[in-house]
Amino acid sequence: MTASRFIVPSLTAGLVILGANQSMAADRGRGAQLAAMCASCHRLDGRGKAIPSIVGMDKRKFADALVAYRSGARSNSIMHAVALQLSDGEIATLAEYFAARPEDRKRP
Amino acid sequence: MTWTRRRFGGFAGASLAAALGTRAARGQSKARVIVIGGGVGGATVAKYLAASAAEIDLTLIEPKQRYTTCFFSNLYLAGVRSFESLTHNYRTLAQAYGINVVHDAVASIDPVAKTVKLVRGGRLSYDRAVVAPGIAFKFDDIEGYDEAATQSMPHAWNAGPQTELLQRQLKGMDDGGVFVIVAPPNPFRCPPGPYERAALVAYYFKQFKPRAKILILDAKDTFFEQDLFEDGWNRHYPGMIEWLPVQFTGGVKSVDSKARTITTAGETFKASVANIIPAQIAGELAQRAGLTDQSGWCPIDPVTFESKLQPGIHVVGDATSAGDMPKSAFVANSQAKACAFAIAAALTGAEQIPPHLFNTCFTLLAPNDAVSDAINLKPVAGSIKITDIFFSQIGESDETRRQTAREADDWYAAFTHDVFG
Repeated sequence: MTASRFIVPSLTAGLVILGANQSMAADRGRGAQLAAMCASCHRLDGRGKAIPSIVGMDKRKFADALVAYRSGARSNSIMHAVALQLSDGEIATLAEYFAARPEDRKRP
Repeated sequence: MTWTRRRFGGFAGASLAAALGTRAARGQSKARVIVIGGGVGGATVAKYLAASAAEIDLTLIEPKQRYTTCFFSNLYLAGVRSFESLTHNYRTLAQAYGINVVHDAVASIDPVAKTVKLVRGGRLSYDRAVVAPGIAFKFDDIEGYDEAATQSMPHAWNAGPQTELLQRQLKGMDDGGVFVIVAPPNPFRCPPGPYERAALVAYYFKQFKPRAKILILDAKDTFFEQDLFEDGWNRHYPGMIEWLPVQFTGGVKSVDSKARTITTAGETFKASVANIIPAQIAGELAQRAGLTDQSGWCPIDPVTFESKLQPGIHVVGDATSAGDMPKSAFVANSQAKACAFAIAAALTGAEQIPPHLFNTCFTLLAPNDAVSDAINLKPVAGSIKITDIFFSQIGESDETRRQTAREADDWYAAFTHDVFG
């Protein structure tokens, strides 16, 4: 698939929708749509103890963990269920997405 | 694939951002989406639409300035969470996400003209509307239980003043009093909720009113995670909680809110404090807008959550009739994301991947003893079916249950952050 990209057109008076300090990149690619499921439990601002942060996680480590949860080699019923929903390709997409994603202090 | 997440924080006064191919880029006015209802479903749709499609003009209509979560409100009744910790506002959605948050109620929706009329006046037009009205109560099912009766016998099934009222009543109850919970028939919001409420009120009683009793008069003969609850009740609060299924009582027929009595087919119970959770249907606006079928709930497309009755209007959350999906905040959030990506796809030409629908519920038997379930769901032949289901097991170690309780705490923080920003 092609990544969705935003074009920022010239400033248009009357259509200002964002404040100076806010950003609003379109985040609706395949990775973002899959990651939406993760965000129901994992904070995307790098915080979280009992439910660990997965933002910025190493790709390989992320994929290995999900494969282990899916097979049951790693035990956690919630993560087992989540991983059962994901194909190998989807796991790879998510691993890429979270590895590339910086911790987000303002937005999840 | 490569996915580059771009930020535009450096553009002082940054303006309209629009993808090629959208109405805005073609010089037309922006596509308009109106989300009605700022609970978990509505707020999640609004937030995910804002994050995924800035070229949509987005309005969220919600009468209240603050939203109190029903989930985890039993921990407030237990005395281990503050009311404030359950309360959220719409500032981040408005300020960081650029959502036009309108604090008003909807008088009517015209699905043909595609307009929404507000109670305080004004009419807004939409290309797509999302209705997330939550639940309404079938007050006529129990004689004597009406809106006025909720002031002495709270339902506390929409969080807010009702939850605070129930908490005050429990606090004021004498040691040795009887707390009666009337549990509703299926389907209802939060299947483990009434039984978790019994456990967590028992936790409070155990410390402050050890002679108190809890009686559950159920409209059902079985309930969700029954074995886990009965095990937890017996371990933590032996002899305190009694559950009577409908086959024993014939069901609750009437209440007297002044005398605080509850009458079943064969008996009248006197309550010190009564929590009547009535049978439920989709929220009132859904009824008025023609979004409900004979069941009282809203039939939806399982991929886009567009109403099967009113094209152009989507419904998410407890109000939906969504196959095997339970009525939970988690489900509302899961549906809302699928709905947001579907609307973004319809209005901007973006791609929607098949929705990953999921539910998990953390349930507290005591503050340090939590159980969870995990349910995978999938659109199948116009409905939504369970594909996998997992539960905590009886006999798990104390440490496992403590860890689940810690996860529950983290989940609440992450989840409310996901919904309200």
